[in-house]
Amino acid sequence: MRGLFQSFVRNRKAAAGLTIVVIYVMIGLAAPLLSPYEPLARVGRPHQPPSWEHLLGTTRMGRDVLSQLIWGTRISLMVGVLAGVIVTVIGTVIGIVAAYVGGLADEVLNFLTNVILVLPQLPLLLVLAAFLGQVDPLAIAVIIGLTSWAWGARVTRAQALSLKTRDYIQASQMVGEPAWRMILFEMLPNLLSIVGFNFIGSIIFTIITQATLEFLGLGSPLTLSWGTMLYNAQTASAILVGAWWEVLAPCIAIVVIGVGLSLMNFGVDEISNPRLRTLGTVSKAVKLQRKLDRAREGQA
Amino acid sequence: MSFIVRRLAFYLVAFLVAATFNFLIPRLMPGNPADIMLANSGGTIPVEARDALMATFGFIDAPLHQQYLTYLGSIFTWDFGISVKFYPVPVADILGRALPWTILLTGSALIVSFSIGTVLGILVAWRRGQLVDAILSPMALAIQSIPSVVVALCGLYLFAISNRWLPTGYAYDPALDPGWTWDFISSVMVHALLPVLTLSVVFIGGYLVTMRNNMIGQLGEDHVHLAEAKGLSDGRVRYHYAARNALLPSVTALALSFGALFGGSLITEVVFNYPGVGNLLYLGIIARDFPLIQGQLLIMTLAMLTANFAVDLAYVFLDPRLRKA
Repeated sequence: MRGLFQSFVRNRKAAAGLTIVVIYVMIGLAAPLLSPYEPLARVGRPHQPPSWEHLLGTTRMGRDVLSQLIWGTRISLMVGVLAGVIVTVIGTVIGIVAAYVGGLADEVLNFLTNVILVLPQLPLLLVLAAFLGQVDPLAIAVIIGLTSWAWGARVTRAQALSLKTRDYIQASQMVGEPAWRMILFEMLPNLLSIVGFNFIGSIIFTIITQATLEFLGLGSPLTLSWGTMLYNAQTASAILVGAWWEVLAPCIAIVVIGVGLSLMNFGVDEISNPRLRTLGTVSKAVKLQRKLDRAREGQA
Repeated sequence: MSFIVRRLAFYLVAFLVAATFNFLIPRLMPGNPADIMLANSGGTIPVEARDALMATFGFIDAPLHQQYLTYLGSIFTWDFGISVKFYPVPVADILGRALPWTILLTGSALIVSFSIGTVLGILVAWRRGQLVDAILSPMALAIQSIPSVVVALCGLYLFAISNRWLPTGYAYDPALDPGWTWDFISSVMVHALLPVLTLSVVFIGGYLVTMRNNMIGQLGEDHVHLAEAKGLSDGRVRYHYAARNALLPSVTALALSFGALFGGSLITEVVFNYPGVGNLLYLGIIARDFPLIQGQLLIMTLAMLTANFAVDLAYVFLDPRLRKA
């Protein structure tokens, strides 16, 4: 476990991604301290361009964009993590159960997974949100969580199926290990990279989808999130009147967290699949080899 | 052959599942959709039409299974009821007019992004660890995590508003009469350029990374080493030995990305006010036009299933093992 974490931090892409994500989390946690103004209060004239007083300008309602952005970080991250947890738990459980139990259970679960994968997800989410009325962030997290687990279940199942035929699993089966122990201690550790990939990917997906739903006006207008900021900018025709800061600020916030999370995922992928690792140039590889040799000599 | 039959059966069942969802959603939600719509329509619908609206949802005086069968029957006869927003035009007519635009948009975006992404993925994998790879791969990954709405808004601002190079919206110049004239076709193309490009950008990254990773896996295989040892040209090894095998998982990724593509097209259509089914869904949702929403959802499902079936056929073409089975 510790070794895994170390190789994760040592991977340059993963480390860069982790840094971005940690900064966002800290901004989200410290929102009340960092935000210069009350996010929903009228604190300036409408559509003021960025200035020292309002670093990212003001909205048409005269609200401070930076303060909204900081508070939005909190909501958007919370929704992302909550939905990510739901997706990962459902996907992993279904994937492992399908692979481990096999037979009819596998047939049914696999069929269900494949059906959900071929349904148009965003339109379905839109319709669910529309029938529910304007949904708050918690409801958004839950409906995204409950409808997005299929990809994870499919990938987990495939990997678990291939693990099931490995010698060490068969050996522990012969020794008579109980099923729960087999799943928790023999299979799950080898599925960790897929679970992690699924979790991070789901957070990205949720942040994007939440912003989309809210941009289309399906979220609750009282929420402070990047999506509602985009929605308010759109209804205020911010782009058409040239108030680019009102649109650009949430856009950049979403893009940067997305990049941070996918860099982390790239790292997870490289750690679990050594073939994808690139040492950069040949000279770097040679240098690394020398370093390893020296370390070994030092030990001897 | 049996592969194709099995897939067709699967899609039929998947469609039934989607139709059942569609049937259940208004029944599980609080309130009566017909009453909500009447309240929302602002008096454009006569009160007598309420019964007809209820019938649209299959809310007839009958037990649930009877309602379900009536509903299924209406789907297979292409009868989605009457739109509330565009009262009294039938939903099927409205959807029929919008569908070609969505197919044009998603189809072009699919071709553009898949071919660019795949070709770049092959090249980057060939030069893995070198400068191109070090720049393009993380960039592709970053682009992949940008929401369509962000790309569309930025594209709109950059190319249509701050520089008036391209039109800000709609599918063609409304002053022109639709027809097979050069003026009209060129107008359609100019109007489609920005939506297609902004929609494609997001997906290039995904296809690039998938292809790169498959390709790197292939490059370590024995048959590729053998081809190199035989002294075949780089191009031949790259495309005929490695890329052809690496393409299979890419095609799977393509099928899995249809959902995101339709979702992205929905957003793009809304931002550019493009008259496709996605924009229609948006208008329907705002107006709480439930017959339109439900019909749209079924059409999108049907489009997804058709696209997936096309990928299955491509699979048979690409993988000889499936032809024997």
